[in-house]
Order: sequence, then structure tokens, then C-alpha cells
Amino acid sequence: MLQSLTKLGYLLRETFSGLRRGGWMNWAAISTVTVLLFLFGICVQTSWQLDSLLNHFGSQLEISVYLEPDVQGETLLSQVERRSEVKQVRMISKDQAWESLLQELGVTDMEEATQQLEGNPLVDELKVLVKDADTVPRVVEELSAIPGVDRCVYVNEARERFKQLQWGLNWVSLSLTVILSFTAIAVVTTTLNLIAVSRRNELEIMQLVGATKVWIFLPFIVQGVIFGVVGGGLALTLLTSLRTVVARVLVNQTDFLRFIVEGLQLNPLQLYLLAFIIFSLGISVGTISSFFAIRRFSFR
Amino acid sequence: MNSFLNHVTSRLPNSSNAAIAPEVIVRLQKVSKVYDENTPCLQDINLHLKRGDFLFITGSSGTGKSTLLKLLYGEERATSGRVYVNGYNMDKLKGDRLAKFRRRVGVVFQDYKLISNRTVFENIAFVLQAQGRRKREIERRVLPTLKMVGLAHKAAYFPDQLSGGEQQRVSLARAIVGTPPLLLADEPTGNLDSDNARQILRTLLNLNTYGATVIVTTHDTQLAHMSKQPIIQLRQGRLYWLKRVG
Repeated sequence: MLQSLTKLGYLLRETFSGLRRGGWMNWAAISTVTVLLFLFGICVQTSWQLDSLLNHFGSQLEISVYLEPDVQGETLLSQVERRSEVKQVRMISKDQAWESLLQELGVTDMEEATQQLEGNPLVDELKVLVKDADTVPRVVEELSAIPGVDRCVYVNEARERFKQLQWGLNWVSLSLTVILSFTAIAVVTTTLNLIAVSRRNELEIMQLVGATKVWIFLPFIVQGVIFGVVGGGLALTLLTSLRTVVARVLVNQTDFLRFIVEGLQLNPLQLYLLAFIIFSLGISVGTISSFFAIRRFSFR
Repeated sequence: MNSFLNHVTSRLPNSSNAAIAPEVIVRLQKVSKVYDENTPCLQDINLHLKRGDFLFITGSSGTGKSTLLKLLYGEERATSGRVYVNGYNMDKLKGDRLAKFRRRVGVVFQDYKLISNRTVFENIAFVLQAQGRRKREIERRVLPTLKMVGLAHKAAYFPDQLSGGEQQRVSLARAIVGTPPLLLADEPTGNLDSDNARQILRTLLNLNTYGATVIVTTHDTQLAHMSKQPIIQLRQGRLYWLKRVG
């Protein structure tokens, strides 16, 4: 126990001494790691948000099934409801639709309008809500094939665009992460290497008086980990601030943008996962850099 | 003229440490070290030292005195031949085993190798810290060691505030603070005036009387002759007796 405390005390003292020697180079290393983790965090977060937005859209997606003029909605209602992909079906009779249309057009005398057009020109409509957004195209195809169905309408294009955007974003984020990781590793390695060079005399003496390699180099590994943790903390703070600002700006906007904001929210599990991923990447970058710095700083 | 010896075995005359079993602590067998093929540094060296021995190795600059010591603490490896120190085959010592071996060997460097931004106390404690010793043990050892070299009153000084002789004494204190059975001093008096040189020499001889095996390299043959200890000379990569004892 006492031995462990002695070792911990030594480790902290040597790590702090190394950080003090690093001076402004520490800031260079931490800021590079922060930029890497911030951009990586934005990519991950946006990808999740798009995913969530897609599902959000999906849940709002209704297929409008317009029937042929002489077909009653009730006759097909149960047949459509029985489908496993379907969550809910709502029927709008042609009379309801006609009434609603005339109201929107500002016509007060419904009977006169109907007489002028020689009857209600509209058809019965089924509003079909599906369980899974991915099944929409298939459901539409199958509903279109039912006798008595004239045509089906749904908002497919926006969803496909979002999917393409998400796919593109995933590639961009992967490329960005790889490139920036290399940059961060290079900067942190150089920083630690400069610190090691400035302490070369001490390290050489340590070797000559019988300090083991772990004892000599562990403080450098801890320094790398500290760069990763501090960078991760700063990146998370920036990400949280950015999310808050965007949400505040959009909250007073139109209904559509408010709808978007709802889709952009991350659930608590995603927030913890994001923090875990960012800290893991930061610590990994720091540790890998430390090993490179030590390897380059070789002496017998 | 000294006769050529390629087999040197030192024997102790003054058995102040007679209680210690005469085990072999250093053994070099046909050791050669070559940095540049045309100019071998050491050639077929044989050396045999027992625990408690004291040996001077003299020779002018560049004759390989430091290299010979480096072979003994694992800073260099022999090109051919075998080096055994404290029972270890130095050719096979690597990594942590080499580190732990070095804890049992004290080295005094010609250029002191002190850390300029640490005090005298910290420079000496640093060795024990690097070896993972506890704080209480470090405090218990450092001050008596500083007293032994006459620098207890300068424990809080930085190396730059000390004279060359004092810095060398700090270096000596650092080498002996772990009470190693083998002490290697590489030109410990090289940069010092005669008073300081004699003081360092006296301390080394004292340590020998406590049982430490001491090997001192020096280019100052006169200084070596001031003591009654055996002296060998390193010339053109080979060892020659200058003074044999016993």
C-alpha cells in the first residue's frame, strides 16, 4: 500500500514536471487533440441526429391511398389494417374531404357548390401510418396492387435525400477522423519528444542508476493520456455549447424547424456514449503518441 | 620497464575487509572492444577482481579507460570475450534485469552528470526515487551520505552554486547512497585541483575500508601512486602492471 502510494506520488510528480517543461507545447498538443475530437464529435453527433431525424420523419410518414371513385373506404379498411407493417389506418370519406376543401376555399353554401359540379368530385382516401420507415416503399407497392386502389402518394424523396446525406457524412467523418488522428498523433508525439529531449540528461541518469524503462517512461504515457482527457473534456464542452446554441436559435422558428429541432435531440444514452467515444479516442491518440515519442527517444 | 600482461589479477594487500569472503566480483575474459576496425579500443583484456579490492586504472586520454568501465556497468557491450560482474554475464543483461543490476553498482562520472534544476539533496534522492524507494528511506539515507562527503550544509544548494570539487563530491554521494558493493569512478579527479582530488581519493579509500570494491580510472599516475593500492595502465588497448601489491 505504502509502496503503491510512493509510486503514485513519484508518477504524479514526474508527470507534472514534464508538463511544466512542455510549456506552450502542451497547449499545441491539447488544442490539436481538441480540434480532432470536436470535429469527430460533430460527425458522430450529426450522424446520430440524422438517424433520429429519419426515424422522426418516418413516424410522421403517412401514405395517402386514394381509391377509385365508386369504391367505398370501409370495404378496404380492414384489409389494409390487417397488414403487419401497418400501424394505423384512418379513413377520410369523400364527403369529409369535400366539406373540408370547401371550407378551406371559403365556400359557405355546400349544396349549391355540389350541384354546380354535378356531385362530389372527390374520392375516399385511406391515411396509412406504417411502423417502420424502411418498409414504406414496399407497402406502397403492395397497396397499389389492391383492386379498388387508384394511387398511393407518400413523401419519399426527402427521406432518400437524408439517407444519402447520412451515408456521405459517415464517409466524410471517417476520412476526417483518420487524417486528423494522424495530425494529432504527430503533434502530440513531437511535444512529448521535445519534453523528453529537454529532460534527456535526467532520463540518461535515471537509466544509469537503475530505473526501469516503465519507471522512466510511464510519466510520458500519463502525459499523453492527460492530453487526451483534457482535449476530450474541451471538445465535449464545445459540442454541448454548440448543441445548446443551435437548439435556442431554432426553438423560436417555424413549425418545420421546431420539428427538425426535436429530431436533433440526443437521448441520455447517446450523450454518455458520445462522451465515452470521445474520451476513448482522445486517450488512444495520447497513448499511441507517447509510445511513438518514447520509441523515437532511444538510448541504451 | 613494465612487463606486458594480458592477464591481470589484482590481489589485496591490506585486508581491512578480510571478513568479506574473497568472491570474484569482476571477471573479464579475453575482452575486446572495437569502435573502428582499424583502431581497436581494447584488446584481449583479462581482469580478475575480488570483493573488497581497490584498483587504479591509469592511462592517457582516449586509451579506453572509460570504455572499460562502461563495459562493467552495461553502457557498452564487448565486441568479443566475456564480461562478468557480480555474477552476471553482462552480454546477456538487458531491460529490467540490467536496470536492477545497475542498482548494485555506483558510478562516479567525470562530468558529474548532475541535474541542474534540482538541489543537491534532490540530485541524490533522485537515484533512490528512480529505484522506487520509499520517502522515509530516502530521507534516512541522503543526509548521512552527504555528511560522509562533507556537504551536509549544502543540501539545499543547486549544482551551479557549487565548485567543481563539491559537484564531484555530490556525484560521489549519489553513487554511494544506495550502498552498492561495487563502485566505479571514471576520472573522478580529472577536473579538480590537488586538494579536492586528494579529498575525493580519501573518501574512495574510506569506502573501500567499509568493504566496497572500488575501481578508479585516472590519467594522473602521481595521484594513484599516493595510495598503496595496485595500479594498472591501459596502453594501446592492453593492460600493464604499474604497481603490483602483495
